Amino acid sequence: MTTTITPAATPLEAPAPAKHSLRARLHIPKLGVLLSALWLIGLTALTLLANYVPSAVPFIRTYDAKVRINGRIGQYKAGPGWTAWFGTGRSAEDIFARCIYGAKVTLAIGIGATLFGLIVGGLIGVVSGYFQGWTDRVSSVITDCLLSIPPLLLALILILRLDDLKEVYTWLGWLTRTWQITLTLGLVAVAPFARIVRAQTMSLREREFVTAARSLGASRSRIMFRELLPNLVPAMVTVAFTGLGILIAAEAGLAFLGLGVERPHTWGKMIDISRDSIEKAWWATVFPCLMLFLTVLSFNLLGDELARRFDIREAAV
Amino acid sequence: MRYLVQRILRFAVVFFLVTFGLMVLMRLGMNKPGDPARTMLGGTVTQQQIDETTKAYHLDSPLIVQYGYWLKGMVSGDMGVSVQQNLHVTTYIKSRVLTTLFLGVYSLLLAMVVSIPIGVLQAYRRDSVRDKLFSGASFAFVAIPPVVMGVLLILVFVRWLHWFPRTGEKIYPWDDPKEHFRNFALPVLALSLPVGAVFSRLLRGDMVRTLQSDFITLASAKGVSTRRILWRHGLRNSVFSVITAIGLQLAGIVGGAIVVEQLFNMKGMGTLLITAILSKDLFVVQALAAIIVFSVVVVNLLVDLSYAVVDPRIRQMRALS
Repeated sequence: MTTTITPAATPLEAPAPAKHSLRARLHIPKLGVLLSALWLIGLTALTLLANYVPSAVPFIRTYDAKVRINGRIGQYKAGPGWTAWFGTGRSAEDIFARCIYGAKVTLAIGIGATLFGLIVGGLIGVVSGYFQGWTDRVSSVITDCLLSIPPLLLALILILRLDDLKEVYTWLGWLTRTWQITLTLGLVAVAPFARIVRAQTMSLREREFVTAARSLGASRSRIMFRELLPNLVPAMVTVAFTGLGILIAAEAGLAFLGLGVERPHTWGKMIDISRDSIEKAWWATVFPCLMLFLTVLSFNLLGDELARRFDIREAAV
Repeated sequence: MRYLVQRILRFAVVFFLVTFGLMVLMRLGMNKPGDPARTMLGGTVTQQQIDETTKAYHLDSPLIVQYGYWLKGMVSGDMGVSVQQNLHVTTYIKSRVLTTLFLGVYSLLLAMVVSIPIGVLQAYRRDSVRDKLFSGASFAFVAIPPVVMGVLLILVFVRWLHWFPRTGEKIYPWDDPKEHFRNFALPVLALSLPVGAVFSRLLRGDMVRTLQSDFITLASAKGVSTRRILWRHGLRNSVFSVITAIGLQLAGIVGGAIVVEQLFNMKGMGTLLITAILSKDLFVVQALAAIIVFSVVVVNLLVDLSYAVVDPRIRQMRALS
């Protein structure tokens, strides 16, 4: 076996000495990372409470509650303020409450799709990265195919087709809209995950511990799932966070195009409903936009931080 | 040369597999004979019409044979007929495709024109205030989905400032260039900002690494001007991830274009595609999907080949293999 020695890059100037600030020594994460974690945890907690234990969060109106201003209800009556934090919408609904209720579906779809993509894509990636040869060629053609269809296009066709197919085949009846979106977005996520896991597997399989395991007579599946897989976890978690941001944005895009869940309305749908009245009531559109932006940003920030910690370059985008 | 053939073959296989797969997907669930014709015609139709349509478009032959006919048509420029619109698909979608093409090309160009100087300058004065500012901004822009970007642009530039028209009317650049660009400005901006942010982040990362290598030190020791080092030596060795990203981001741009077209009421491929899928206008869906997949595949092929143009070492390696 040949060993290649990669010369260490000699920097132009001496690298800046590592800062041993108090923050670094105490392992306090950066402000942005901290805020994103807080935002995501807070959002998850609020949406779960609002959906399942409404009595714990009395400040959130129910989904169908109408906001009365001076005893009357009306279109876009109230701007953001004390009565309705994010203002009211077209049918006098509380935008803040709707934002919170919608978060549950968005997060659930995002997490479900990411898990699907991780499991299927991870499996394809490990197997093709480890075996190489024909297995690799076949699976890379599959990922190439998936990557050549724009995700939104694939999701569009699949969701609308599944709607029709449900009527033809009764055994597909369990597929609610939520499931349809989760599965389609999961399928969209397979190829990128597979690519990254494959690249990582290929660099890991040349390492000594794999050779050691092989020379001890470990079976292929043992090497793949007991030796390689644990070492892939950091990469997978990192990519999962970045992927979550992208998938949540994709869900919003679908909802905006009218392919979202009927109830509760997710952020994309809320944007679609109110966008024509944006001049009259900017809040009804801007706040869902803001929720979407902050959530995607938080996932990206966390993903970025993890990538830096685990030193994974592919997940940087 | 062998490498080129290999690549082209591979992309051809991907193209055939995907278009065939989409065709199968569109036909799933149409089990009874005459079903495809019935859906293509739409509405209430007589048995005779169904039979005629079935016969005219070979809808009763096995799918693979139909695919062959369809492919033959595509090659000769005949994309079939939209029976519902009573139009040739080619004439039906031509103007729509052009709109989306303008949108995509402008967005990609703008993203590159803006992001490359920013990325290079960021890397040049690494960790300066300007670098940090741009890094923060680009990170934020990556996180803005096209929907959000579009809505915000409409709010600020259309509703508040009245700088741009709301709807993207179809005006060709050769008819009235000024109006054309006015119409496209906001949609293009909404699409290109996130993509440009991705590019500049990638470029900055690579450029920082390149600027630390020996040959840059050598160049500056020889007295090569900073400008030349940055734009010739540095940039050329750092554009790989950006080139790769063009291929990967293209699919995202097309997806984003669907949303942006809807948002700005533009008559493009995206809006047409949704209508066609909903009304099950089979040939229209197939033609649009084929055009999209084809362009993505071709761009990726070009990306692959351009590595060799940028880096002579790769050219040599490929020549040897």
